[in-house]
Order: sequence, then C-alpha cells, then structure tokens
Amino acid sequence: MVLLESEQFLTELTRLFQKCRTSGSVFITLKKYDGRTKPVPRKGHAESFEPADNKCLLRATDGKKKISTVAYSNLLRANMDGLKKKDKKSKNKKSKATQ
Amino acid sequence: MPHYQAWEEFTRAAEKLYLADPMKVRVVLKYRHCDGNLCIKVTDDVACLLYRTDQAQDVKKIEKFHSQLMRLMVAKESRSAAMETD
Repeated sequence: MVLLESEQFLTELTRLFQKCRTSGSVFITLKKYDGRTKPVPRKGHAESFEPADNKCLLRATDGKKKISTVAYSNLLRANMDGLKKKDKKSKNKKSKATQ
Repeated sequence: MPHYQAWEEFTRAAEKLYLADPMKVRVVLKYRHCDGNLCIKVTDDVACLLYRTDQAQDVKKIEKFHSQLMRLMVAKESRSAAMETD
C-alpha cells in the first residue's frame, strides 16, 4: 500500500482510471481518520493519544495496485475537483439515457 | 445487503448510518468503465447499503454525496451546515 501526498495521489488515481478503461474496476474507499499510528492496546487504558478530528483516509485500487492518502479539511477541495473531472470524462460513453 | 433503487432513500439511510458511528463507517466507490457502471456502498461492517447506477446523471449525485460525507468526516465540530441535503 503506497501512502502518497494528496497531489501525487490524484495523479496516480488518474492513472488508475486510465488503466482500467478497457477492463477492470477502480475502487475508491473513504474513511474517517483520527490520526492514530499505533494499534489499540488490548489491556489497560494506555490511550495516551489525542484523536484528531479533521482527517480522513482515501484509498484507491484497481485490484492489484494500491494507493492511499490522508486528506485534511483544507485539501479536500483539491481532491474533490480532481475526482469530478475524471468522472465526467470517463462517463462520456453513457449519455443521459432515458430510463 | 440492501440494494437501494431510490437515491433519496439511500442517502438518508447512509447519512444516518454514518452519524450513528463516524469512526466505524466507510464508503466504497466502485467504477467500471468497461461495463459503464458505478456503485457506491456505505457500511459499518454490520449493515451495508448499496446503490448502483449506469446513468451519467447519477454520477454527479454520487460525487456530491461522496463529497458531503468527506466534509462530514473532516469537520472539526459537528456542524449541521455540512449536512446540507439536496
């Protein structure tokens, strides 16, 4: 699992989308992240740890290659813009079809 | 694993699930260009909500909702402003 900076993540994500155009899926996972780097202790409240509240984890994979990044509130806009452009481009095959 | 047909229902259930326990819930997007479909899943490893589409008009909705959830996750205080449903 490659941990990247936001910008790099977006670049790699674009590449993933392009690679999977002819076959395969792109999975994007989003999860709230409180910044912990150590596993939760089993016994005893050794929780000497301040949960941060303004981050989330973004992961992407095509089944083989995995990339991830930590997104902060201030970087969110950049991430969302990147995704939006790609989705629109990729979806040009399906026009607004009537049901 | 309920597959939702109505977008409204899905977003309501998904937000509810997230607000119940923000740390447990994850959102998964699966996009297949070759088949031309997009699927969004919201789960807390107990309940799982799915919405699938092959319509370009839904992509925007899904993307908006995805951003909404992202905003909820990074909001410092639980602001109801971030929860603007459309």
